[in-house]
Amino acid sequence: MNTIVSLLSIMFFPVGISLILSGMLYEWADRKLVARFQNRIGPRWFQPLADTIKLLSKEEIKPHSVNNLLFYGLPIVALSGALTAALYTPILGFAPTYSFQGDLIVALYLLSLLTMCTGLAGWNGASRFSLIGATRSLTQLFAYEAPFLLALLGPAMAAGTWTIKDISVYAENHWMFIAQPVGFVVALIGLMGKLELPPFDAPEAETEIVAGALTEYSGRGLALFHIGKSVELVVAISLVTAFYLGGVGNPLIFLLKTLIILLFMAMLQSMLTRLRIDQTVGMWWRFGALLALLQILVIILLKGWLA
Amino acid sequence: MNVSQNYVSQLMGRITTWARVNSPWAIHFNSGSCNGCDIEILATLTPRYDIERFGIKLRGSPRHADVLICTGPVTRQARERLLRTYEQMPDPKFVVAVGSCGISGGVFQGCYNIVGHINEVLPVDAFIPGCPPRPEAIIDGIVKLLTHLQNGTRPEPIQFAPQETA
Repeated sequence: MNTIVSLLSIMFFPVGISLILSGMLYEWADRKLVARFQNRIGPRWFQPLADTIKLLSKEEIKPHSVNNLLFYGLPIVALSGALTAALYTPILGFAPTYSFQGDLIVALYLLSLLTMCTGLAGWNGASRFSLIGATRSLTQLFAYEAPFLLALLGPAMAAGTWTIKDISVYAENHWMFIAQPVGFVVALIGLMGKLELPPFDAPEAETEIVAGALTEYSGRGLALFHIGKSVELVVAISLVTAFYLGGVGNPLIFLLKTLIILLFMAMLQSMLTRLRIDQTVGMWWRFGALLALLQILVIILLKGWLA
Repeated sequence: MNVSQNYVSQLMGRITTWARVNSPWAIHFNSGSCNGCDIEILATLTPRYDIERFGIKLRGSPRHADVLICTGPVTRQARERLLRTYEQMPDPKFVVAVGSCGISGGVFQGCYNIVGHINEVLPVDAFIPGCPPRPEAIIDGIVKLLTHLQNGTRPEPIQFAPQETA
């Protein structure tokens, strides 16, 4: 009986289908908000679902010179990485399913797995566009990863623990958004870099390099990468909300907070133009990493002073 | 057993048709037109007409696309590229010819460097007449293609009146 319950909970509730569906709804909300900012009507609510089903039902073409194992395995690894990261995150305001000391680092690296898989898939794609896209997405990974990690370390250090569950419980009474505004801004922009949203969409710039690393993917592989990206959107937004905007608490209020973050992200997406890859890297290391380090330094000093 | 399997496959077919009708991703190919139709296609993609309402998205890669929107007559040089782009698209795929030149060769008909209209090279599913067609006409043509796809029928073939000889 217990096995059945845990199987069902893995398949449906915290992870699995409900997570994928909520990822699609978040993606729709993002696209709709961008559309409204551009003064158009935008897609219908079931649009990401229709896209995914259509891609899953389409033919999958394998290019001649790719490695079979990598070509078919990478989309699955990418999606499973994002889904596993959800186990340690307070999705939709519910407490994380599993937690252990130091799961913050594990969750962050599971989230990066999608980008690494995209890079490998692009390198494996044997097309010049996918190769350039892969190089760019891996370069960008090195740019935003450290500042994003540092920005999430701020709340962890303030709470004095490395467990996501404990940090979100601590954050319920201490609004990090007010206590650490610099870290919040870095985390918010790091989120956009992680999801390769404009202005950080140089890895999939459709006006320069067709579709980036996923140029050669069609059908099922492309659908799995899309699902992985929308799951990552939910997980990363939940993580930032739980850390900076007052922990988990009420699921409905948590949902509203994630939507506010999404609104800000959509606003930035429609306001800013695409940065060149060297500008992205320069911005992250010159400002992002330094600001996050400054934030951490202030926390360390304050903790030492208060103690 | 057999009946239930049949029912399931019918249901799956209906779901995939629904998804296909609601999310046609397009790729645009100019096989030798004067650019008039291409400007109108780009105008169709602007926020003014907003075809993301129907789920239509312009994709860069033929591997992601479902609908190949072609313009212009097919020149001898573009023929191979057009065929290659078509063959790179995964099944099921559809072709829409935009403009008079795509339908009949237009003013370029009979030129030394022209293979002919698009239907001589690819199986075209929908023709959108006009020189160039307005964005509304292009949206109408694609929506007609989608409704026929939903009903499982092919669009009616165009009957040309026989030319009168003077």
